[in-house]
Amino acid sequence: MSGGIDFWTTQVLNGLQLSMLLFLLSIGLTVIFGLLHFVNLAHGALYMLGAYVGVSAASALGSFWAALAAGPAAVTLIGIALYLALIRRMRRAGPMNQVLVTFGLIFVIVDVVRIVWGDVALGLEQPAMLSGPVEFLGVSYPAYRVFVIATGLAVMAGLSLLLNRTQIGAMIRAGVENDAMAACLGIDVERLFFIVFCVGCALAGLAGVIAAPVFSATPDMGTAILIPTLIVVVIGGLGSLNGAILGSMIVGFIQTFGAVVTPGLASVMVYLLLAAVLIARPEGLLPARG
Amino acid sequence: MFRQTRTRTLTVAATIAGLALYAALGGVFAREIVTEIAVLAILAISLDFVAGFGGMVSLCHGAVFGLGAYGFAVSTAMLGLPTPVAAIAAVSAATLFGLLVGAVTANTAGIFFIMATLAFGQMAYVLIFESATLGGDDGMSGVTRFDLSWLGLDLGDSLQFALVCLALLALAYAFLAVVLRAAFGQTLIGIHANEERMCALGLTAWRHKALAFAISSAVSGMAGALAAQHTQFVSPDLLFWTVSGEALVVVILGGIGTLAGPVVGAALLVLLKHEVGAWTDHWHMWVGLVLIATVLAGGRGVYGQAEHLLAPHSAGRTHA
Repeated sequence: MSGGIDFWTTQVLNGLQLSMLLFLLSIGLTVIFGLLHFVNLAHGALYMLGAYVGVSAASALGSFWAALAAGPAAVTLIGIALYLALIRRMRRAGPMNQVLVTFGLIFVIVDVVRIVWGDVALGLEQPAMLSGPVEFLGVSYPAYRVFVIATGLAVMAGLSLLLNRTQIGAMIRAGVENDAMAACLGIDVERLFFIVFCVGCALAGLAGVIAAPVFSATPDMGTAILIPTLIVVVIGGLGSLNGAILGSMIVGFIQTFGAVVTPGLASVMVYLLLAAVLIARPEGLLPARG
Repeated sequence: MFRQTRTRTLTVAATIAGLALYAALGGVFAREIVTEIAVLAILAISLDFVAGFGGMVSLCHGAVFGLGAYGFAVSTAMLGLPTPVAAIAAVSAATLFGLLVGAVTANTAGIFFIMATLAFGQMAYVLIFESATLGGDDGMSGVTRFDLSWLGLDLGDSLQFALVCLALLALAYAFLAVVLRAAFGQTLIGIHANEERMCALGLTAWRHKALAFAISSAVSGMAGALAAQHTQFVSPDLLFWTVSGEALVVVILGGIGTLAGPVVGAALLVLLKHEVGAWTDHWHMWVGLVLIATVLAGGRGVYGQAEHLLAPHSAGRTHA
């Protein structure tokens, strides 16, 4: 293990990159969770769908940027279909039934992907302008990964502005805090739920497309990312933007640095942290409800 | 309230007898399937005990099951201990883990309980996966089966092994039914119905829940010990959270909170897996669709729905 400053800078960037991917997934999941009280285990499967649609769009249209638009759009449409067919009626069914239905959805979506795209890992070409390394913070780092970090930060800033500075953001926060009271004040909570669900799906699709050039699209990528994402959501606090930011940073950095410092035990540390948070602060580190 | 009704007794007896007949008349493949069903059914009824009657939907029963399997495998393949000692070691390992997880998570509820059990289960999975002494990713082979020659049985024979697994399933079912009918079980069901009231009556609810979790884990650990003997091989996959998910699917498919339902569910799931798996590689999709349909149909499961329709008092009752 080289202990140079460059090495650690690179690790920080790697950690940041993983954190941003986790953030893009967990923010959708956490707001759906906090606002709709809905446990969507299929969120990871939507991320996988985003990656596959992105791969197909890129090969059909010949452009990564087209894929970056097509992935989220397609996943949002699929999400809308799922919402109308299943999720709307499962809203009040209790966490166990939601876990079961979305667990079933994982099986279905994974097999549909295997039927349509096959079992092999599919790569997605990085856009030409982002293919080389760049000098960043004194180290040579792949430009594409800087783009991943930048996208995550941009979404973070955008959502932060949206939630804290706009009227719809205030309505969402009110809905997370107390949906019955928000409805009494004349907010169309059902419409709000629907919008939030769509945005969550779009972000999952976006995360899928962005992840595809780094990790390739595989049928098990959705299940693999699901658990870390759920951990981020629970550690951060259900429904909380700041919680999702903090949670994804913690999990992303523990996984990255754990893999360097104590190989193999990185995920144990993440699970230990989750267990500790659940026991000591079940509402999460930065809960949305005051 | 748990009642071991005549319908339940008949259903379990008929399922076990049917499977025994299938194993006796079918070929080697039928015997493998019957063994698989018996092991999965033991795991499923142990999960139903906590999930259906205690309201603790555990996503770490796969890990408990796997720890039982590893307990047995380490005792026989690595330490060369006799099989009865290995079985005790397997059940003890599973029970201890269950008691620990149960005690720590007993005060959480709903999705937090599900996530907490998931965390502990995955922790066990990662630790075994990374343990070089236990073979890590490659697992461990050379597990020996019970030596029942003093009973005139040879468990190397697949039919006799399948029948012993079925007998143990009947035993596990009887054990859990007795516990549920006893004061302990009634108290557990009381906690599920209204935990605050049980506490107000002077019960230390978390301790009771932790004990129930440990009892359930003991039975899961026995299922794990049988699974290790079945394939004579263990790998970390046995502990992965999707195993818990599959056990939960079995419980739901058969009928949660009926104890008899999961036995039927295990048979249905394994048969579905092999029948559908024979003509398509994508049997998981069908399991998923069946699961979604079961929950949308009211979540009573195949047996639970039948029992609900057959129950004499259900005619005049409005649906909740």
